[in-house]
Amino acid sequence: MLPRILNALLGLWLIVSPAVLQVDTNIADNAHIVGPIIVTVSVIAISDSVRNVRLVNTLCGGWLLIAPWVMGYNNLPATINDLVVGSLTIGLSLVRGHVGHQFGGGWRSLFQDDPDHSRQASQR
Amino acid sequence: MEKLSSEIPPGWDYNPSTWGQRLPLVAVAVIGLGISLYLGLYQLRVISSVWDPFFGPASSQKVLNSPLSRVLPIPDALLGAIAYGVDALTGVFGRTGRWKTLPWLVVLFGIAVGPLGTVSVLLVIAQPVLENAWCTMCLASAAISIAMIGPAMDEVLASLQFLQRVKRNGQSVWKAFWGDKAITATVR
Repeated sequence: MLPRILNALLGLWLIVSPAVLQVDTNIADNAHIVGPIIVTVSVIAISDSVRNVRLVNTLCGGWLLIAPWVMGYNNLPATINDLVVGSLTIGLSLVRGHVGHQFGGGWRSLFQDDPDHSRQASQR
Repeated sequence: MEKLSSEIPPGWDYNPSTWGQRLPLVAVAVIGLGISLYLGLYQLRVISSVWDPFFGPASSQKVLNSPLSRVLPIPDALLGAIAYGVDALTGVFGRTGRWKTLPWLVVLFGIAVGPLGTVSVLLVIAQPVLENAWCTMCLASAAISIAMIGPAMDEVLASLQFLQRVKRNGQSVWKAFWGDKAITATVR
């Protein structure tokens, strides 16, 4: 749960950072788009059954690492901020954490030929 | 009544359809319903202002009067209220084995909470990007929508896995989706 909470806080920081760092509109817009997505993904991924939704944040973090160049930031603090938030988001999103429940093979079982829940059902 | 142990899906260690799993979501949906009704009443001008302790009523009202909020014939907060109503109703109906006996209801619940809840993120993004303004109660409503998604999804997974077992058993997924009792009795 802790990696998800830390990642949500990073997303919140990203949302408020344009007001703190005094940045141009394009930099602010990017933070105001990516920030809420990071928060949302983090909060959803707290739940054991959808923990792997966290990997969407790996993509968000990756985008933050290239956004300053793709979008042509002219602002060093904002560039550093995106690199730091992006790196931490990638790192935190890759931590699976403790999954305390069993889900009959989970979401991927829906695409398997011989899913775990089906085997369990025929055993008992 | 089925025995409680048979209400735990195969390969699981708990039943996602117990009242303990569902009622907190229903309660939170009712709070969301209250907030969005309040915001919707402003959009209909039944009340003349909205409470906003952080950004001020003017900022909230800019958001609530934005073009995006009027894209559909009904103001967006009222659409949110309808969605929360569907969340609460589809969350509360059905017994504790409903992941198996009422898959259609659980899937409807999942769609109302999941994909519809995700729309709230777009509305959060629209506040600063399109309107350059924030709305505290809109953010509170969005936070509720997002908080509901994760806890609701396990029940949907159990229903989909059940329908998968029905299919592997060579029986009608369509009938099972609508709660066919003969199938429910034969497929675990």
